[in-house]
Amino acid sequence: MNDAEIIESLKSALAEKAGDITNPSTRRIFLKIDSHSLIPVITILRDKFDMTYLATISGVDKGDFFEIVYHFADTRTCLNVRTAVPRADPRIESITNVIPGAILYERELQDMFGIIVDHIPDARPLLLPDGWPPANHPLRKDWKFERPVETIPGGKS
Amino acid sequence: MKIQIPIGPQHPALKEPISLRMTVDGEVIQNADLRLGYNHRGLERLAEEKTWVQNIYLMERICGICSHSHATCYVQGVEMLMDLIPPKRGLYIRTLVSELERVHSHLLWLGIAGHEAGFDSFFMYTWRDREIVMDLLEIISGNRVHYSINSIGGVRRDIDESQKKKILDSLDTLRERSLFYLKIGASEPTFVARLAGVGYLSKESAVALCAVGPTARASSITRDVRKDDPYAVYDEVPFDVGTADTCDVLGRTVVRVKELLESYKIIEFLMKNLPSGNITVKAPRKAKPNEVISRYEAPRGENIHYIISNGTDKPERLKVRAPTLGNYAATIEMLKSGFIADIPLIFAAIDPCICCAERSVELVDARSGDAKTVRMSELRNKANERFKKDPPKRNGIWPF
Repeated sequence: MNDAEIIESLKSALAEKAGDITNPSTRRIFLKIDSHSLIPVITILRDKFDMTYLATISGVDKGDFFEIVYHFADTRTCLNVRTAVPRADPRIESITNVIPGAILYERELQDMFGIIVDHIPDARPLLLPDGWPPANHPLRKDWKFERPVETIPGGKS
Repeated sequence: MKIQIPIGPQHPALKEPISLRMTVDGEVIQNADLRLGYNHRGLERLAEEKTWVQNIYLMERICGICSHSHATCYVQGVEMLMDLIPPKRGLYIRTLVSELERVHSHLLWLGIAGHEAGFDSFFMYTWRDREIVMDLLEIISGNRVHYSINSIGGVRRDIDESQKKKILDSLDTLRERSLFYLKIGASEPTFVARLAGVGYLSKESAVALCAVGPTARASSITRDVRKDDPYAVYDEVPFDVGTADTCDVLGRTVVRVKELLESYKIIEFLMKNLPSGNITVKAPRKAKPNEVISRYEAPRGENIHYIISNGTDKPERLKVRAPTLGNYAATIEMLKSGFIADIPLIFAAIDPCICCAERSVELVDARSGDAKTVRMSELRNKANERFKKDPPKRNGIWPF
């Protein structure tokens, strides 16, 4: 099955849920979807297209919105499902019910971009340390690192 | 009575320190919990502030053992962004280094597997042979660890006839010895019995948890980027993907041995068919706005880099997913219903970074609340002790 055939079958299987589909190079397909239809689309991909292997989830800070890219891969192609959530209310549904292996990537997304993943089975921070100040998300473009003032416990100042 | 055992997180020699908290009931692990980030260096953010060329060296420093993997994955992505086609000779040398790296990484892993299983002479032999590969890498690139052979558009150093001869000669030695150790490993019943049935990961779980690399291939999933999505010159090189269907540490060992022998085949092919010509092309300073996904089969599994450019000489976003992160979810599954004595072996089997297993462990007794810190070496001794007293009853056979 080559890329063109996959794109055709994607269009017919997803119907109105599929947004733009691009094919910039061989074995690379980008599919744009609405964030509300994420779970149905991923379920169709898993059940009808046998896309069970999620390579990773990437978040991108685009200013007014965050782009979330789900990279799927198998022997035929590498399919990237792209969706967007507004910066003012960054919420996305967890896909762990469909793809259990996504849990670590979703936790990473929460830490690094402050995107709230609804119904995630385990919402604790994965990468950020325990004493990390809330609402500090290092991969947001407007985040600046400020070294905290060190104080010696019990010291003079 | 449930007891929690925290493993990790700190060790001065680690590159990826992780903390695992095991809930155990007697000797049997009930659950495992994972905590990362003890050595998070913010490389993805840092990469946004460095130029395309500077980032090659940054990417190389993600990992000490598979340093070439990340650099190549990044460089081939940037080449796609810049519409560069590297010359054939450059790609052959790049592939040669990546296969040599796979050989040294797998030999290192085999030694560790022998060490964790209490078969230390195996460890010493494989590590002696690993020196041959390290020397080859040094004569090719000038470095033993961070080879820095890649440049955007090709490679930095050419190889000449005498180096070619040296590589082919060393390959004969390596192949001969690998086959000999394979025979030893296969005919040593205690070694096989120690590995068989440990760290079971069914094919269904491996699929569901998105396992990668030799971990997935040992659960009979033929997932190999070199075959599925051929990059560099892998579409011209004949090789097979090694798999095993035992789904345990023995299977992971067999897969790596098979891959070693395949790598020797690939290196021999590359050396005998090395085309002449340039090794690199000139790269522009900037890349036009675009995005690209670069995949690479590192010794531990699939590497994936997602690179976005914005028209300047720096990337807009560089997402890196290393194979170990892909395998953590599967590791938790493997540890469940295993024994405390198997923790070092199961850990080592995904090749997380061996240092992860070589750290201090704190045993907390839930009945008294006393915490006792033991070193990983003591834990290993305990494990070996236990297997001496109570020899494994599983009838393991070497399925190679």
